[in-house]
Amino acid sequence: MEEYPEELRTPPVTLASLVGCPELHTLISTHFLTAQPPINTLALPDVSKIIHLFNNKTDPDPTATSPSPIVPGIFKRDWLLKHRTKFPSLLGALFPSHHLTGDPAQWLQLCSDLDSIKAVIRGRNIKFAVVVVVDNNAAEISEDRMIALRKRAEVDAKYVIVLDPNDTANLKVSLQRLASTFTELALAYYREEGRRIKQRIEKKNVNSVELIVRYCFKVAVYAEFRSDWTEALKFYEEAYHTLREIVGVTTRLPAVQRLVEIKTISEHLHFKISTLLLHSGKVAEAVSWFRQHKNAYKRLVGAPEGVFLHWEWMSRQFLVFGELLETSSKITQGSSPIGLSTSSKPMSEWEYYPAYYYQLAAHYLSEKRSALELTISMSETSNENDSVVESVVPSVYMGQFARLLEEGDNVDMLPLSDEEYICYAVSEGKRFRDSLEIIALLKKAYESYSSVKILRMSSFCGFQMAREYFAEGDISNAKQVFDTIASLYRKEGWVTLLWDVLGYLRECSRKNGAIKDFVEYSLEMAALPVSSDTGVQRDTGPAGPANLLQREIVHNEVFELVSGASGLATNEHQSNLKISRDESLQLEVDLVSPLRLVMLASVAFHEQTIKPGTSTLITVSLLSHLPLTVEIDGLEIQFNQSNCNFFITNGQKSRSVEVSDGIQHRRTETATSLSLESNKWLRLTYDIQTDQSGKLECLSVIAKIGSHLSICCRAESPASLDSLPLWTLEDCVQTVPIKDPILVLSGLKSTQVEEQDPQVDLHLGVSSPALVGEVFLVPVTLVSKGHDVYSGELKINLVDVKGGGLFSPRDNEPYALDSHHVQLIGISGPEGEDDSHLDSDKIKKIQQSFGLISVPIIKNGDSWSCKLEIKWHRPKPIMLYVSLGYSPYSNELNIQTVHVHKNLQIEGHNAIVLNHHYLMPFRRDPLLLSKNKQASESNHSESLPLNQKNVLIVSAKNCTELPLRLKSMCIEVEDDAERTCSIQHGSEELANPPLLVPGEVFKKVFSVSSNMNISKLSLGTLCLKWRRDLGIEEQCASTSTLSWVLTKKKLPDVNVELPPLIVSFECPPYAVVGDPFTYYIRISNQTQLLQEIKYSLGDAQSFVLSGYHNDTVYVLPKSEHILSYKLVPLVSGIQQLPKFSMTSVRYSAAYQPSNSSNSVFIFPSKPIFKAAISTNSRLESVVNE
Amino acid sequence: MIVCVAVVGHQNNPLYIQSFTEADDALKLHHIVHCSLDVVDERVNNPKRSGPMLNETFLGLLYPIENFKVYGYLTNTKVKFILVTTDLDVKDADVRNFFRRFHAAYVDAVSNPFHVPGKKITSRTFAERVSTIVKSFGFSSAG
Repeated sequence: MEEYPEELRTPPVTLASLVGCPELHTLISTHFLTAQPPINTLALPDVSKIIHLFNNKTDPDPTATSPSPIVPGIFKRDWLLKHRTKFPSLLGALFPSHHLTGDPAQWLQLCSDLDSIKAVIRGRNIKFAVVVVVDNNAAEISEDRMIALRKRAEVDAKYVIVLDPNDTANLKVSLQRLASTFTELALAYYREEGRRIKQRIEKKNVNSVELIVRYCFKVAVYAEFRSDWTEALKFYEEAYHTLREIVGVTTRLPAVQRLVEIKTISEHLHFKISTLLLHSGKVAEAVSWFRQHKNAYKRLVGAPEGVFLHWEWMSRQFLVFGELLETSSKITQGSSPIGLSTSSKPMSEWEYYPAYYYQLAAHYLSEKRSALELTISMSETSNENDSVVESVVPSVYMGQFARLLEEGDNVDMLPLSDEEYICYAVSEGKRFRDSLEIIALLKKAYESYSSVKILRMSSFCGFQMAREYFAEGDISNAKQVFDTIASLYRKEGWVTLLWDVLGYLRECSRKNGAIKDFVEYSLEMAALPVSSDTGVQRDTGPAGPANLLQREIVHNEVFELVSGASGLATNEHQSNLKISRDESLQLEVDLVSPLRLVMLASVAFHEQTIKPGTSTLITVSLLSHLPLTVEIDGLEIQFNQSNCNFFITNGQKSRSVEVSDGIQHRRTETATSLSLESNKWLRLTYDIQTDQSGKLECLSVIAKIGSHLSICCRAESPASLDSLPLWTLEDCVQTVPIKDPILVLSGLKSTQVEEQDPQVDLHLGVSSPALVGEVFLVPVTLVSKGHDVYSGELKINLVDVKGGGLFSPRDNEPYALDSHHVQLIGISGPEGEDDSHLDSDKIKKIQQSFGLISVPIIKNGDSWSCKLEIKWHRPKPIMLYVSLGYSPYSNELNIQTVHVHKNLQIEGHNAIVLNHHYLMPFRRDPLLLSKNKQASESNHSESLPLNQKNVLIVSAKNCTELPLRLKSMCIEVEDDAERTCSIQHGSEELANPPLLVPGEVFKKVFSVSSNMNISKLSLGTLCLKWRRDLGIEEQCASTSTLSWVLTKKKLPDVNVELPPLIVSFECPPYAVVGDPFTYYIRISNQTQLLQEIKYSLGDAQSFVLSGYHNDTVYVLPKSEHILSYKLVPLVSGIQQLPKFSMTSVRYSAAYQPSNSSNSVFIFPSKPIFKAAISTNSRLESVVNE
Repeated sequence: MIVCVAVVGHQNNPLYIQSFTEADDALKLHHIVHCSLDVVDERVNNPKRSGPMLNETFLGLLYPIENFKVYGYLTNTKVKFILVTTDLDVKDADVRNFFRRFHAAYVDAVSNPFHVPGKKITSRTFAERVSTIVKSFGFSSAG
């Protein structure tokens, strides 16, 4: 775009001329420039200069007056510039006011100035305005003078403007008025000029098409001066179309130059049109206009020797339009092109990318270059035109050139012949380095495409650009770009394109002397899947045709190089590629490397787990896609356990790989053949063993080829073998690395080496179930049978069998406080070893359900034991896990540990079930009103009478399968609770701990009485101390050291109430047949009220009785009524006394004694008792059954 | 005249590419086909731009370059067909017709039980059929 002259690139600006009063010119012209629309000023100090300005009106366009068939050119080169800088549209004459008001000489001078101005501008139709500049101390200008001035100047009143530069307040306004007046005059001038020329077109008597083009152009330019863009566009298009018509018609100039002129003109017209379209935002129209333009001129190649001119022109079209598009898209950013399908021919969105035009500009420029080269080669012989070439200059007409002939002062322009012109153009073309230009264009396109993520297009541009760099010898730039685009082609599998790029890269590294790169690129090329001829035969880059033969050539070349074959010396290209004797070349092939095609290593262990010390098989498979068979000299297999590494040497090559002394002790295998055929797996199977447990993984396989090259392939598992990127697309048979069909799917490059079998026994000796509350001991015994135990650790875990956990925070049982139902309390060391000693230097960590202790060193054959102390708070089965981890070697470095695991389920049972119940003394029954009530409400809370002695019987049942010993049973009252009752019983300790066999019940009787007037009685907690019976050891165990288990049970609170009535019977403990006795029934009234009692006594067959059967008695308050009967027993044995029943009227309560209290034993005759009264104190504790 | 036809797979990898030109620009045609994938991508990813061509297999003119015009076609299995022609004035109907026949040939080729999907098409029958279709391109505007 920059090659166009300034006047073409910017819209024209009105030009006005100022004459006189030079001191004001700066002020006015500055203001005019900032005015809207701006006005350029042409300042002339005084009137005499006007003549100089317009004196070159020598050629007033002779064609306009007398149309002649021969027009020398379409339009003049400087016409536009002239109108923009030299031909003002109007003339403003500035006169100081004192010239008007002063002496007549000045007035006369003014008048003569006006006359000369008028004379100058008359023929040119230039507008005229008079500006009167008011002086500092000037007198008022009379009206007459003004009219005289107007008449003299022949202008309208409004074109005589008074400007007072000293009136600063109004200066701006008056300057604006001046500007608008000037604008008005200028518009009028350009309109008139435009109309004048338009009339010439419309008259149709212009018989030269060139003139029509010229007139249209002028009209358009005048319209542009007026900012009438629509008309400008219309006439530019008109000119353009008219010009296109004369292409085949005109014969004015020699053919080549004719075409050049037309193209130059059309280029300018097109530029104007595109600019106008783009500025008005009509991007789609501009694009389609461009396409039309391009298509119209594309075929106008011209004479063969001038073809390059055509391509250059085409290239420029694309470049300029691309630049225009880019600038306009910068201005109107974001407005994406829409309405693609508006025109009849669908447009591609691609035509909206400036990069597209740059790319094509580069393409045409390269066409131009090759055409130019052809022309140069043809015209090389003729040099006689050199003198002509030097004198060629652009002629006055646009797009034309002429020969400048200087003969002394006489300068003459001679027309050129086509040969001369071509010569000139060729010499001009030689001056430019097209490739730099092409690179710049491609780079623009490349970057532009890349920035919008159009990668393939940008790759293509990059490819062309890199090719130019390559041709220019800029290897580093070329290589960089080639590398970038090669990765895209690799990814998408465009083998032919990749082949070509790699060919360039190979040459780049050859030129750079980068031998490693050269080998890598060559190997990759040789391994590419270009088996069949892809049709790319000619016009290939340095890669050569993409076919199998070429692959083989590349293959041979690179292997000759690395094997150090002497064939290099003959090839002068490879002079800078040499491998010195001690230089080695290692290529790394990882999972993403393109060299995976060259060599791929798959390694599979035949077993997924192995024992240490035992051997397993390992298969190493190699695959290569190189076209020819490769002979490998040696393989090195590397593992993560470096002592497993081994070598495989080629049996066919005798000691070609020297194993250095340092690694002599490594294992070396010899394979019969290590030749790697194309696309065929080389499978090698060896056994391998390790002593170290853990993971054994094959890391890499290094293949040594020749004395210099080694290829290090990362080992891959067959199970996760990624398919080769490019070859999978080929229609060839897929082979598998291992023949074993299972290993193909599951084979891994790593195996797990198990740990050694433990040679230590772990015993958990538990015989009986655990009892809740006791400290349960679980003996753990370690017996070493073959291994020494070093740095042993014993881990203990308690796990709920049901999986519910040993922990229940929501439980509000009394022992929920310590939150664990089963707890590991501690671990006691082996017998004879003190606990504290164990603590001091060994790890010992005990938590509620987890324990960790260290085990001392146990020599082979020794044993060690300890006891786990576990306490159950709840009956619950648990699983006990004990695991021993140890190292069989004392060596600290060898960190392999061996593990032994044992587990055992242990049930926890409740040992003792406690029960209790209350009794009144024998044959004494109180009336408890609440009890009667409760009977209906089925509430089980106990009630006791107040002020009475009650009996509490506590029973403890052994529910285990073991005999237990009891130590004591007592009722403890909480310390803080108020003592509300008195509890009496015998001594707490049971002197000789009784044995409680399974299922047996132990009972103890307490007497409870309360005389406090409260309704609730809290009795306290029942405490029972017991332990397991030790059986035969019982005797020897000292009672003091034995730990007793304390089982507690809180007794529920009981209600206490005052009974209104108490009935008690008195009767002898036994009777004798025929011996009378008295049976008393006492009814005691505890209330302050009179109690009416109805009672009855039934007959009994076994007795004869005397007394009332039925009666009603009144018992006085706080007194007692006694009923007495005399009874004579008739029958021996246990007999029921006569049935007594009574009713309290007040309480509507009936009473009948229970059967047990109502019976008595009758002896047939008076019994004789031995006076053997038991001496022990066990009267109160009765062992039942 | 058709100078190049191509079948391009899911990963934008070439499955079949054949040029029908005597000139030396086979490699260039490969480049052009490869570049046209950008246009296909853009069409597919910004369907709103192409407006009425939504849901249509025929993608129309992809882009004009130098002396070529590139047309595209996208099957329902996302396999792309690319056509490069030197004709400046091509009827859309002709191209559509071409692609229809080409598609049929492609379907027959991949229906071969010995063809592995996703691999390059090496069938000789397919190649012959394609060259027949290509040869008949200019002349058979009727059918």
